Amino acid sequence: MDRMVIEARDVEKIVPTAEGQLVILDGINLEINAGETVAIVGASGSGKTTLLGILAGLDLPSGGTVSLVGQDLTRLDEEARALVRGEQVGFVFQTFQLLGSLTALENVMLPGELRGDPDARADARRLLEKVGLGQRMGHYPRQLSGGEQQRVAIARAFASRPNVLFADEPTGNLDTRTGQKIIDLIFELNTEFATTLILVTHDDRLASRCGRVIEIDGGRIVA
Amino acid sequence: MRLAFILRLAWRDWRSGELGLLLVALLVAVGTVTAVSLLVDRLQHALLSESADFLAADRYIGSSRPIPDEFRERATARGLRVSETLSFPSMVFAGDDRNQLVSVKAVAPGYPLRGELVVADEPFGAGHVTRLLPEPGQVWLDSRLFPALGIGLGDTVEVGLARLQVAGVLLAEPDRGGSMYDLGPRLLMRLEDVPATEVVQPGSRIAYRLLLAGGDADLEALRAELPLAPNYRWRGIRDSSPSIGAALDRAESFLLLGGLLGVLLAGVAVALSAHRYAQRHYDHVAILKTLGATPTQILQAFALLLGLVALVAVAAGLIAGTGLHLAIIAVLQTLIPVDLPLPSLRPFLLGAATGLICAMAFALPPLLHLHKISPMRVIRRELGAAPPSQILSYGAAAAGSLGLLIWYSGSLWLTLWTLLGSAGVLALFGALALLLLRGGRAVGMQAGSGWRLALAGLQRRGGQNVAQIMIFGLALMLLLILLLLRTALLDEWRSQVPAGAPNHFVLNVTPEQVAPVSELLAEATAGRGELFPMIRGRIVAANGVDADTWAAEHAARDGEGDGPRLSSERNLTWAAQIPDDNRVVRGAWWSADDPRPLVSLEQDYADNLGLGVGDQLTFDIAGHQVEVEIANLRRLDWESMRPNFFIIFSPGVLENYPATYMTSFYLEPANKRFLNELLSRFPTITVIEVDALIAQIQSIIARVTQAVELVLGLVLASGCLVLIASIQASRDGRMQEHALLRTLGGTRRLIAGSLAVEFAALGLFAGIVAAVGAEVTVAVLQRQVFELGMQLHPWLWLLGPLAGMLLIMTVGLLGTRRLISTPPMLILRALS
Repeated sequence: MDRMVIEARDVEKIVPTAEGQLVILDGINLEINAGETVAIVGASGSGKTTLLGILAGLDLPSGGTVSLVGQDLTRLDEEARALVRGEQVGFVFQTFQLLGSLTALENVMLPGELRGDPDARADARRLLEKVGLGQRMGHYPRQLSGGEQQRVAIARAFASRPNVLFADEPTGNLDTRTGQKIIDLIFELNTEFATTLILVTHDDRLASRCGRVIEIDGGRIVA
Repeated sequence: MRLAFILRLAWRDWRSGELGLLLVALLVAVGTVTAVSLLVDRLQHALLSESADFLAADRYIGSSRPIPDEFRERATARGLRVSETLSFPSMVFAGDDRNQLVSVKAVAPGYPLRGELVVADEPFGAGHVTRLLPEPGQVWLDSRLFPALGIGLGDTVEVGLARLQVAGVLLAEPDRGGSMYDLGPRLLMRLEDVPATEVVQPGSRIAYRLLLAGGDADLEALRAELPLAPNYRWRGIRDSSPSIGAALDRAESFLLLGGLLGVLLAGVAVALSAHRYAQRHYDHVAILKTLGATPTQILQAFALLLGLVALVAVAAGLIAGTGLHLAIIAVLQTLIPVDLPLPSLRPFLLGAATGLICAMAFALPPLLHLHKISPMRVIRRELGAAPPSQILSYGAAAAGSLGLLIWYSGSLWLTLWTLLGSAGVLALFGALALLLLRGGRAVGMQAGSGWRLALAGLQRRGGQNVAQIMIFGLALMLLLILLLLRTALLDEWRSQVPAGAPNHFVLNVTPEQVAPVSELLAEATAGRGELFPMIRGRIVAANGVDADTWAAEHAARDGEGDGPRLSSERNLTWAAQIPDDNRVVRGAWWSADDPRPLVSLEQDYADNLGLGVGDQLTFDIAGHQVEVEIANLRRLDWESMRPNFFIIFSPGVLENYPATYMTSFYLEPANKRFLNELLSRFPTITVIEVDALIAQIQSIIARVTQAVELVLGLVLASGCLVLIASIQASRDGRMQEHALLRTLGGTRRLIAGSLAVEFAALGLFAGIVAAVGAEVTVAVLQRQVFELGMQLHPWLWLLGPLAGMLLIMTVGLLGTRRLISTPPMLILRALS
């Protein structure tokens, strides 16, 4: 189980602002093996979310290379990166990011539908049952509570059959109890699907459940 | 992405109402354009065919010589329907001592090719339409000829050497009043009886016409192949009656312009809805991308989605447009008693093309832009996207509208002026609106009062509001332009034949009869009874050069030989004062005590003959040579239906020559019998009746007016749609702000008041923009396209801003009332 799924080399992110160049990430080197659970922690503005976006192929670094499951993301165009995301990656976000015009079931079906999987609907049903929303498949996001919405998002993340699951503050918008349940659910499914989990958080309890904690400060890895 | 999946996406979008506004905007674009062009198409055909009634044919070939058989044969060979008429003035005799000057029209079978004959069972009886003609050996007479000749149905009358039986009462025929030979009580007879009368001799004043009816292409082809010049004139409604021709031309331009503005407005509505749709899909696309959708897939999906929406909109729009125009026709059936011909295919093609082009040019650019949305947006909300390519968006919209408009109007000029007017005004007033909003910038939300909250809001969303003012302003401006042009056109048309314009002329009044005729006319009619002296005379020399030689050297003659001849005998008159409706354009009118022999010429007449102020003319009047100098040139209004003269002498030149007098007067249709009284008291005078001619002009103008009003109404409706779309497009930002305020304790009254003030202010600015834009554009359009005089419209400066304020406040408050009544929590959740 020590196959490397993510490798970042000298990753930099610099954005131009009115006051000049702003360095967000400054020479990040990182390796994550298959099956690892990794928490990226740090203060607000430390660059952890930017790093997550770059590792997941949502954004490109200004310098350095990132490879995801053996593919050098920095040498792919957005078209190819999208395909890699569709095949390898699942996401859970702080703000859930469900499509408001789709029911819970339809949201979970999306990854399958994008792949052209004929079993998308059956898969989605199974996953929703698994996250405890079997009775609410026809509901729209606005009819669900925050915890329920996040469960739909988790079901959708696993519907991609991802090798790597990225989670950005998955409990940030939830109360402690609900957050705890969501954390349990993520880890449970992570084990079941044998997924590599990379999450950004400043929730210490969540970070402490991960096998490895990477702390970022000022765009650098400090621990 | 597979088609099935895209269809599912489309269906889910539709279910959520997201696609609704775009679909509705496209549908309305297609529907309005289809309905307007269907109406225009059918009204235009109806107007033309009704005007053709006025000729009793689609075209005719007229001459003072018999029409060669070859013409008839070639027309028949082309599949055209033909008939013939021959008109001449003649005395008709009844019994031993009764006679009357009549205007004879002899017609061949098939007459009239367009329009209908109206006959009555007894003189002055109720009319009904007939498809029959007098039999050979029979005549039909005007009602008033019966008492004038002392005859009844079944009696015989003599026309020349022929004895013909009176078999019918003729009330109206379509081409009555078609020429100046042709104004008098009518006698309708068969062409084959004409030889027996022996009145047609060399030199007789006879108008021959070959009437033609059929398709435009065939008619034009015939025109091209016949040797018409110089003796035969080809005439359609436009050249045979310039006033109707001009009215039709302007109406056509107006209808086109109306439809054109409808297209523009619809395009703006589509663009606005597409932008809103795209904006609301930024998150949607970002999420799809994180789930693995590639930019190409996004591009394909939205292009296909739009294509699908466009197809549905076109299909539904065509149906809706057809239904709408049927509904309008049904509602207005009482106003439009014409049988509308079936529409051509063009309106449907135009409607469909409008939908597709609007979709491509106005809606596609913002949607295409969606594929560039960064997936990082799921983590960082603020990552929108680089704004859509301005060049692509505006370029596509400009190219799309230009193409559509040119195709629609068929007129590059009309299109360019409209677009230039709109663009120029938008640029200028974008800047002005920006200044207005920037002035006195306030800090914070200023939530203390609805008034200050609104103004602060206006400034905070400055950029967005400038855009909105420009869009509101554009819509209002287009509507005002249409309103102004309509008013100008209707005024112009109404003034052409004012109600109560003279509809009868009296000629051959002797000097002794002047006083009694004048008195009788003043009694029985509303006429002023002013009589003009009239003397026949002709020009024999100009500046000492023989008239024919002068004409050959100086006259600007066109090929068809229609221009006035210098040496023709003309009606001359004299006057101390310039007649009403005349105005001097060169030289000066004479003073009362000027002893010189002077003359005044009509400007076109003088120009055609190469004559100007200061030239010397020699007239032959009753065998005497009279020398005069041209003192001035006049313009006169030929449509005024008053006696008009090419040539007016100064007082003191012609008084010693034998003159007859003429005048014109207005007679109510119900008082036609007065003519008999007039003619029986003064049997030697001649009355020329132009009431039928005037009635026909008026009826055509009434129809044209209705068409114009209809189209105006339709375009107004689509203008309101733009306003709604525009308010909808800006709703989200307002909603969020106001919902937030309400959670912080803002009352509904505060929010409603602030919204009212905000919309009113937007409307006010937009109204100012619109008034200025409309004034400028209309001034240019009036000069360049409609050839009407320019004028300022002070009322517009009040109406524009006021109407803008009320309209936008009303539509705006209606559009956002949900915002005020929905619990703020729901709004915030829906928007998050």
